[in-house]
Amino acid sequence: MTEPRLIRNFSIIAHIDHGKSTLADRVLELTHTVYGRDMKDQVLDTMDIERERGITIKAQAVRVMYDADDGETYQLNLIDTPGHVDFTYEVSRSLQACEGALLVVDAGQGVEAQTVANAQLAMNAHLGVIPLINKIDLPQADAERVSHEIEEALTIPGEEAILTSGKTGAGVRDALEAVVRRVPPPQGDSDAPLRALIFDSYFDPYRGVVGLIRVVDGHIAKGMKLRMMATGVTTEAEEVGVRRPANQPVEGLGVGEVGYLITGLKDPALVRVGDTVTLAKRGSEEPLPGYREVKPMVFTGMFPIDGDQYPDLREALDKLRLNDAALVFEPESSHALGFGFRVGFLGLLHLEVVKERLEREFGLDLLATAPSVEYHVRKTNGETIVVQSPQDMPDVGSIDRIEEPFLRAMILVPPDYVGAVMELAEGRRATFKDMQYLSKTTVELHYDIPLGELIMDFFDQLKSRTRGYASLDYEYIGYRESQLVKLDILLAGKPIDALSFIVHKDKAYYRGKTLSEKLREIIPRQFFEVPIQAAIGGRVIARETVRAKRKDVLAKCYGGDVSRKRKLLEKQKAGKKRMKAVGNVEVPQEAFMAILKVDE
Amino acid sequence: MSDPEGIGTLTGPSLPAHLYVHVPFCRLKCSYCDFFSVPVEDAEGVEAVLAGIEEEILEWGRARLSGILDTVYVGGGTPTIIGPGVIRILESVRTSLPARTDGEVTVEANPDSATARLVEALAAAGVTRVSLGVQSFDDEIIGLLGRLHTVEEAHVAARAVCDAGLDLAIDLMCGVPGQSLRSWHCTLEEGIETGAKHVSVYPLALEDGTPLAVAVGAGLVSSPDSDAAADMMLLAEDVLGAAGFERYEVANYAVPGHESRHNTAYWTGESYIGVGPAAHGMLDPETAGASGVRTGVGTDVARVRYSNASDIEEWLQGAGRDVETLSKAEVAREDVMLGLRLARGVGARIVAAAGLEEQLRQLEAEGLVELAGGGVKQRWRTTTRGWLLGNEVFRRVWLPDQ
Repeated sequence: MTEPRLIRNFSIIAHIDHGKSTLADRVLELTHTVYGRDMKDQVLDTMDIERERGITIKAQAVRVMYDADDGETYQLNLIDTPGHVDFTYEVSRSLQACEGALLVVDAGQGVEAQTVANAQLAMNAHLGVIPLINKIDLPQADAERVSHEIEEALTIPGEEAILTSGKTGAGVRDALEAVVRRVPPPQGDSDAPLRALIFDSYFDPYRGVVGLIRVVDGHIAKGMKLRMMATGVTTEAEEVGVRRPANQPVEGLGVGEVGYLITGLKDPALVRVGDTVTLAKRGSEEPLPGYREVKPMVFTGMFPIDGDQYPDLREALDKLRLNDAALVFEPESSHALGFGFRVGFLGLLHLEVVKERLEREFGLDLLATAPSVEYHVRKTNGETIVVQSPQDMPDVGSIDRIEEPFLRAMILVPPDYVGAVMELAEGRRATFKDMQYLSKTTVELHYDIPLGELIMDFFDQLKSRTRGYASLDYEYIGYRESQLVKLDILLAGKPIDALSFIVHKDKAYYRGKTLSEKLREIIPRQFFEVPIQAAIGGRVIARETVRAKRKDVLAKCYGGDVSRKRKLLEKQKAGKKRMKAVGNVEVPQEAFMAILKVDE
Repeated sequence: MSDPEGIGTLTGPSLPAHLYVHVPFCRLKCSYCDFFSVPVEDAEGVEAVLAGIEEEILEWGRARLSGILDTVYVGGGTPTIIGPGVIRILESVRTSLPARTDGEVTVEANPDSATARLVEALAAAGVTRVSLGVQSFDDEIIGLLGRLHTVEEAHVAARAVCDAGLDLAIDLMCGVPGQSLRSWHCTLEEGIETGAKHVSVYPLALEDGTPLAVAVGAGLVSSPDSDAAADMMLLAEDVLGAAGFERYEVANYAVPGHESRHNTAYWTGESYIGVGPAAHGMLDPETAGASGVRTGVGTDVARVRYSNASDIEEWLQGAGRDVETLSKAEVAREDVMLGLRLARGVGARIVAAAGLEEQLRQLEAEGLVELAGGGVKQRWRTTTRGWLLGNEVFRRVWLPDQ
């Protein structure tokens, strides 16, 4: 166990793509934690999907030993965090275990929305924030401008910023020196009963739930009888260790130390992130402040293309949930798509990542319906119901009013694109709150916007309208009443529940019409005519027709053609398998996502 | 012709009644064509292929199987481009294999290589029928298809075939980008005037990798419009019908008595030999074994389809042959699928035996097939609409478990 004065716990926080993970790689090298043979890019990102996309989804903790200029060897516990707004909760969790944060800002891109958001999270948690201006090796690096932006947007003196390059390793040692000098050592009472915060967990198929912990008071050692304060479960410390970055068992962890705890418990619900671990007997009575539980914001229906895969989908979701507390799901059945699940996510990236993992790691062929939010519906009989799926929306007649979730969105953008952002925001029922010039190159805009609009391709639109310059962050601000209606889509006269969506009354006609047009393009011609109708409560507001296919024949079929054309028919049929037969209409998967692509 | 419905009564290996010879040379490949051919090159290369074809025919002769050839079809490529070479092939067939005296002997020809002299020589060598690749009587359309002849040459070649007393068959293509219904109507009329007794009507299909497909992909040529092709196919049935042609297969029309016996064999489950690079053949398992096409023994093999290597060197060495076997159940479905291409359709009992009655009932409800005749003569036939949507019909017959 190390004396607290020689311990520093810090996170690396940043906007997505500003180079955290590469910087973390350099720290591991500089401190000889990982040697050449084991060194690869993004050491701490262990999921395939993280490496491929170059993003961090799950926070990672690692202990490194640093020989500082003052001649002492410090124990540094570094926590690499995700940069995407969907995973803000991962960041806030990580910060609970730290006294300081390295705030990485790309020297070319400058301050972006998640830079501001993450810096605010860190400052609200009273952490020492050390700004790093990273990627200074790039030709477009402009440290002076970025330093000015840091001062304006974050109210941190620009001269405190350290210039670094994750690529060349320049400035990394300076950054670690700053951690030693500017981040306060952990404080706690080593004589008090054990209090350790579980700030993350993951599931190991052989060992059960592995909790990442930060000891605040007392100490924890192998064999101790423990109690989880929130759940009340008593258990035993089967193994205590540190991550370097592989798990390395140790005798115990003392005040301020970060490591892992294995108890043998298999159920993630019993080793809850945010819970406080104490002693089973004569333990502490006062839990550490936890943090708000994460709530899914975006919901989608996920259905196996092949109905036989339903049990496999359930099993796969169960497995993913072991490592992803934010993932929630419950069975859902659709007339059009059969049996599946309504799955809740933190945001669209989270949704995308989960869908991709289900398909890649579990070999499932999935169809996802357009994402939706959770509506609060007050019925005329006084009852209030929660609706996560458009198909569960009650009859118009029985609805008194509908409330939907709103966000406070922060958009950072160069001044030239403010008009484009305003135009987009207005089209999305957003209310302008305020605007502030952070520097000559960056404007910060605030809007209140319904989440339902934000998940409608808003981010892609924002990026394309600002040529990639805008960045976005948001926080949930609560439910507000809106004039919403449910729009139904009928194919060949039959309502297709999986295509229904909730829309603001004033936009219903436009979206119904454009979606019908889009569907007409997406749905291939069948050998009979397929009318597409958009309707509100039985009233048709738009109609399109997929004309019947008249000719589809392999006209030449002589000796050599027979095998070849048989194979072509087999290929055609395989193509059909990728579509969903809704009644007798073959509907391609993308049709169920078409509503997202209805441009304003 | 044996009745396809009697299939399965054959015992022991036998010489198939039909022979296809593939001549893999063209002057220049047409823009839409994905059949195997190479530009006609040096005389040595042609000689090597001719010698290889002769050898392959001789091998069948050496097998000494019982049976008589009923039809021979020399296709390609453009067989007539090697001129007298075609006559050598026919000579080799005559001396190696027994053939019926009233056999049907067809040679494919392009208007630019079917000279009067060659046609007369073909007639003298026993050819009874010439299939002329006319495609269109509109020079613009001919140009777009990348063909090297003119309308005038097509007329001259057609006249030469008729003058030599041979049965003339012509191919016409519809659904070509830029082709108007009016141009198509003229092509049909002019086609009838040539004296042809057999007309094949093909809607243009874009085959992957062909220059036309590339041009369409690049936006240089508009993609073929399937609705326009449907209109043209319907017009062909009307115009040709009025001139005494009967549609006997999806793409084929003939003055009664002039149907292609060779091609009909393909649709009625009869065996045929394929000779030459990239040629395909179909044999019963016993004949396939006796002729060395298939060496392994499998259970439930009712039909053997093979294709020769398309690489000329490989083929010359007797290597690279692809062999595909079909089970009894697959053969039954294949026969129904091919039979539904024919106007006369397929006997209801055959459909029932193939286990496809339910599928055809469903297709009937959708107006794609119909039941004609009564009692034992009851047959399933494809409707005109069903013909246009043939893939829907054929797919559901070949792959019934939707």
